[in-house]
Amino acid sequence: MSAPAGSLLAAVDLRKAYGSTLALDGAEFSIHPGEVVAVMGPSGSGKSTLLHCLAGIVPPDSGSITYDGRELATMSDARRSALRRSEFGFVFQFGQLVPELTCVENVALPLRLNGAPRKQAERTALAWLERLEVDDLRGKRPGEVSGGQGQRVAVARSLVTGPRVIFADEPTGALDSLNGERVMELLTEAARSANAAVVLVTHEARVAAYSDREIVVRDGKSRDMERVV
Amino acid sequence: MGFGVALLLLSTALPNVLSARHDREQARMDYTYDLTEPPKADDTLVISDVDTTFRDKDVRGRLMEPEGPRAPLPPGVSRFPGPGEMVVSPALRKLLAADGSALLRERLPYRIIGDIGESGLVGSQELAYYAGGSGLAARVDGSQTARLTEFGDPNPTTEEPDPVLVLLNIVVIVALLMPVAVFIAAAVRFGGERRDRRLAALRLVGSDSRMTRRVAAGEALAGALLGLALGTGFFLIGRQVAGSVELMGVSVWPSYLDPSPALAALVAVAVPSAAVLVTLLALRGVVIEPLGVVRAAKPARRRLWWRLLLPVAGLAMLYPMVGQGRDNGDFNQYLVVGGVLLLLVGITALLPWLVETVVGRLGAGGVAWQLAVRRLQLSSGTAARMVNGIAVAVAGAIALQMLFAGVDGQYTQETGQDVRRAQMQVGLPDGVPMAATVQQFADTKGVRKVTALWEGYLGDTSWDTETGPGLSTELTVGDCAALREVAKLPSCANGDLFVLEGAEYSVDGPALNRPGRKLYLESYGRGDVAEVTWTVPAGVGTARSITDPAGSRRGGFLMTPAAMPEDVARTVRGELYLSVDESVPDASDHVRNTAARVDPLADPTNWTATRTSARYDSLRTGLLVGAVCVLLLIGASLLVSQLEQLRERRKLLSALVAFGTRRRTLTMSVLWQTAIPIALGLLLASVVGITLGGVLLRMSDTPVGVDWASVLAMTGTGAGVVLAVTLLSLPPLLRLMRPEGLRTE
Repeated sequence: MSAPAGSLLAAVDLRKAYGSTLALDGAEFSIHPGEVVAVMGPSGSGKSTLLHCLAGIVPPDSGSITYDGRELATMSDARRSALRRSEFGFVFQFGQLVPELTCVENVALPLRLNGAPRKQAERTALAWLERLEVDDLRGKRPGEVSGGQGQRVAVARSLVTGPRVIFADEPTGALDSLNGERVMELLTEAARSANAAVVLVTHEARVAAYSDREIVVRDGKSRDMERVV
Repeated sequence: MGFGVALLLLSTALPNVLSARHDREQARMDYTYDLTEPPKADDTLVISDVDTTFRDKDVRGRLMEPEGPRAPLPPGVSRFPGPGEMVVSPALRKLLAADGSALLRERLPYRIIGDIGESGLVGSQELAYYAGGSGLAARVDGSQTARLTEFGDPNPTTEEPDPVLVLLNIVVIVALLMPVAVFIAAAVRFGGERRDRRLAALRLVGSDSRMTRRVAAGEALAGALLGLALGTGFFLIGRQVAGSVELMGVSVWPSYLDPSPALAALVAVAVPSAAVLVTLLALRGVVIEPLGVVRAAKPARRRLWWRLLLPVAGLAMLYPMVGQGRDNGDFNQYLVVGGVLLLLVGITALLPWLVETVVGRLGAGGVAWQLAVRRLQLSSGTAARMVNGIAVAVAGAIALQMLFAGVDGQYTQETGQDVRRAQMQVGLPDGVPMAATVQQFADTKGVRKVTALWEGYLGDTSWDTETGPGLSTELTVGDCAALREVAKLPSCANGDLFVLEGAEYSVDGPALNRPGRKLYLESYGRGDVAEVTWTVPAGVGTARSITDPAGSRRGGFLMTPAAMPEDVARTVRGELYLSVDESVPDASDHVRNTAARVDPLADPTNWTATRTSARYDSLRTGLLVGAVCVLLLIGASLLVSQLEQLRERRKLLSALVAFGTRRRTLTMSVLWQTAIPIALGLLLASVVGITLGGVLLRMSDTPVGVDWASVLAMTGTGAGVVLAVTLLSLPPLLRLMRPEGLRTE
């Protein structure tokens, strides 16, 4: 089976095992530019492993992943890192902001890793903080802000480099429903306006509701569930 | 903590080690330095000192000849070896059996019939043997060969301790133990973040703030008790291991390592108390909330004034002893210990302030630098704690090096030996034939030149009287080339005789130079041989004494071999000065083997330009051994705390790698995080070390001078330990940066 035409990122027949535990067993996936796809499934079903494989963080044992027509499996670690730095963005469940950096420095970090000068990077970062309504936190450290605020900063960080794909792994998992909804609104709005695709891993139906399409992963196998909007 | 406790217990055993080694040495003492030897009897033993050196290892050797059935056995020996036999220490047995010891086997051609027991050896790795001798009675001279009725010092004297050496001793002990104490205090805080999370969970299930603190104190106490138990275990294992190792020429027996009960009890009480105290102090800055959130309370800015009080108080305690020197009695030990302690503790108080102040002013740079600086700004206390131990150790070492360098001259003597003219000297017993012996040494591998001088003493009357001769002088026999090494000769041919002018000490030569005057040759130690006399002939020339290879201007008569009567030849002792080609492998050992072949009592020595006091030397060696142990311990502590910090940040590191951060950037950030506090720590250590060193030098009334080479060496060693630890922590760091770390995210 080959990747669907026009897809930005696609995976075919992915298999991945951790020791004797089979995490992915022939999983399939595809996403188009500007599309938001929710990957759903119970705990331990292989959702996060699928996301890590798609993002080039973990190489699959077998199967193919193509991004923009390029095969991820044949890329060196350095090339995959460069891809993650410049074309992918990440949001994790607990934000994973660097605790010693201020919020604006955290958001500027991916730009600086790409070689942008500090002042320019921080100017761009501040613009994203404003867009996510947390610019008043610019000088605060992650330990001094609430979970919801921290997650918005993390979303700003994931968008700051203008990525073509954003990987969000349970981005609202640690937030209350009000904060979770606001974070999802901001994430999907910003992604859509930037024509960035979003791979959204979640087990919550209300979070998945922000997506254009859902994929359910169970026992390492994926099943596409077309949503009727 | 276990390691720290083990090291503390080891240090409590040090006084016992020193006294045990001293007691063993005293118990086997066989030098009588007594001119009135006991007469031969059934309880006497004749013993000769035949110590030797193999490569750079000293071998204690004795030839023994019992004169009756009740002759005393040396400690550790159960029966006398017969001629051609020997008993050896276990270490010597091993060395003799080793490949590459052929030269030593050739030198000690005796059959091994047993081992010397522990009671006869000062250390487990000591090289020693007792061999059976024959005909030793005729060679009793009260120094190299003696007649004994018992082993042990016959005239024990208590040496008044040198105040400066006592001062050095105290400072060495404090400087070595302080870093251990700092290490233990740091070890108590290992795992602090995990503990805080645990405590937060307790708050969630209803524990109030006071209860939480009690739990934390209880945990610290339990941890300290476990550390004590582990430390005792490590110490007991280390005690056994210590019996099979040698550090810088020093070895011990496990039985020496018995901690003094009072000091061991102090360790048992102090360690848990300190653990509880440090934990409670550390918790002051932490707010543990019931919702499982642990936040550092906003720390107050560190104040400098009270931190400065500690070193200032230390200096104030030492100040009254400035200028005291060694001639004004002992230094007040309490003031010395207190002063040095406060100065060194001052580092641990000042360093967090210094790190906080400096990193607070550091600007942004590259990503790696920014990550490191921001991390340090957020938790400068943790960074300072990490390098406290190293900083204290380096400060103590700098101070001690300065003190050692300052007083070195007072404990190092010029030997006068001209190492350009000769590198070895071989003392031959009297009666060894001249020409054949010289030839044997000349033919020895590595020997370039042999200057052979036979020496004796002449007196105007017999030496066998109570008062001895009134006038006496030296007699030196050698060929013209050899005599030119000791005097400026007008001309010289075999058969010539000279009297020396310009001597340093032996100035009676010209007065005794009266043709026809009968002079008596000293013959002590030649048993019942009749006293030899020599009549001064006419026509004795005059020569001017010059500094000989051994560094003195001798006096008396110079005699060429043809001018020496036959009976005189039997009375003089040979001294050979050898020029040795050091590039020839084992040249010195070839010379020693030749000497042993010529006569087992021949005494070869290697020349050195200077000689240091044995007590001073052993103190310096002790410092080095201790410093190695302390640096290893601190290195281990640094590694543990570094790895713990990395583990705490495992998920963050993985996340940073996930969004494309280069591993090199993260590695550099970790390096900066270590390098900045260590640079500040070493800077502070240098300032405190130089100050303490200067004060100690002023106390010992020695001109103050900074030995920059040792300051650099000490700070370099400290930096080297940190570099080694950082390099060792890189593989785990790279492992932690694997994306697998995100699996639980």
